[in-house]
Amino acid sequence: MGFSLFANLAFNGLITGLVVSLLALSITLVFGIARFPNAAAGDVATVGAFAGLLGPLAGGGTLWIILCGMAAGALLSVAFYFLLFRPLAGKSAVSSLIASIGMAFFVRAALTFFLGHDQRVYPLPIVRAMPVGPLRVQPTDIEIVVAAVLALAAVFSILHLTPIGKRMRAVADNAELARVSGIRANRVLVAMWLIAGLLAGLSGTLLGVKTVVSPEMGWDLLMPAFAATILGTIGNPVGAVLGGVLIGLAQELSTPFVGFTYKLGVGFLVLLVTLLIRPQGLFAKNSLVR
Amino acid sequence: MSVLTVAGLSAGYGDVDILSGVDLRVEPLEIVTIAGTNGAGKSTLVKALMGLVPRVSGRLEFEGTSLLSLPAEKRLAMGISYVPQVANVFASLTVMENLEVVEGVADRRGRIATLLESFPVLRERARARAGALSGGERQQLAFARALMPEPRLLVLDEPTAALSPALVHQVLETIRELPRMKVSVLLVEQRARQALTISNRGYILDSGTVVIADTAERLLSDSRMAELYLGDH
Repeated sequence: MGFSLFANLAFNGLITGLVVSLLALSITLVFGIARFPNAAAGDVATVGAFAGLLGPLAGGGTLWIILCGMAAGALLSVAFYFLLFRPLAGKSAVSSLIASIGMAFFVRAALTFFLGHDQRVYPLPIVRAMPVGPLRVQPTDIEIVVAAVLALAAVFSILHLTPIGKRMRAVADNAELARVSGIRANRVLVAMWLIAGLLAGLSGTLLGVKTVVSPEMGWDLLMPAFAATILGTIGNPVGAVLGGVLIGLAQELSTPFVGFTYKLGVGFLVLLVTLLIRPQGLFAKNSLVR
Repeated sequence: MSVLTVAGLSAGYGDVDILSGVDLRVEPLEIVTIAGTNGAGKSTLVKALMGLVPRVSGRLEFEGTSLLSLPAEKRLAMGISYVPQVANVFASLTVMENLEVVEGVADRRGRIATLLESFPVLRERARARAGALSGGERQQLAFARALMPEPRLLVLDEPTAALSPALVHQVLETIRELPRMKVSVLLVEQRARQALTISNRGYILDSGTVVIADTAERLLSDSRMAELYLGDH
């Protein structure tokens, strides 16, 4: 177990972490503004990943796969808002949580019914990994890192530099004060669900590029994403991203010790220890949204 | 025409009425104080005016137009702005962002420049997060945020709560200046005596009902009533 092995594991951890971060950011935005944990986020990611299979029909290449996935994620997410979460807006957070769990099961069942349980892969060319110092880097790894970093930068730019982003942060900070400041919640919520869907769709397609596309992939991604959200302090976008990267690194770096099968558990161990020592998460004082 | 007309107003949460049959009015460019003991229903009254109480009935009009069916976010566009007692700024946003997010402002840049002139301390702290401001700075930001859309009526819920005596004086002086900016004021205050010294009229609320309505001068000069309802400040 030399330096090269751990360097490669850390690089893989960073990639996994970025994919988790995107979904964690989607979850934390919904929690910060709509005030409930959205259990359907993982299955929106799955739908995005399946929609990515249409990418080659549209023109091929990773970019088209990503664009199809993001578009499907955004559409589904906004549809969930209008059909489900807007009518439930005045009810307790538990109602929306339960509804999101039900929607998650429904989406997974529909995917399985129409498309089956088979795993699929994007028809991308198989390319030999390039040696970069001690790392063995696949071109798709670079594409994943670039896409994730660009998406995260875009979301933070929207939140901090645009009028709608600032209003989203205002609603997250103090919903009642936002109302009496004339901020129309509906507009802010549509924007938020759109961004949350784009992020979930991207997360699903990037996971599909890295591994395979299957109806369960979003559910498997949801648990580390929730862990990252809590680790990075619920409602804190920066925390969600850093939490995702930490979970990804912890999972991959533990592989030589616990094996591939149990690496998921290590992410939760990190979460458990954090909750015991610092239940408010790692970034409670630096919260940006809340 | 009165700026604000409230007649037979009842309001509450769930099945419980906290306000019952409240009558009051605010005339153009008046400062009107609502005083009363803790639990009298003062905060519920201002929340009912702003559309933040789930159940409200009676007559509630702003410049002759009924507000009852208007959601909270649209009352600002009518010309009513509100400074809540607590959490009256967006703590995680900067001072500048607190002003930028307010809707219904025609010339946003010009309005921000005007308000930063009126509240110079905010100009110095423009990039600071509102949560990092001192109590006095925060209260000035709350006023500036509420004044962004050039309201014709400003509703203030205990703006001097938890402030030092020096800051209380400063806040009351700011309120006294508001009618000169063409803003009428409905002021809910625990420091009723001090509030009445800058007011035209006052209402005393007790157990959710107006028990006394008179000019500020007469309320302050009635020693028995003052002892009962106005407290030490």
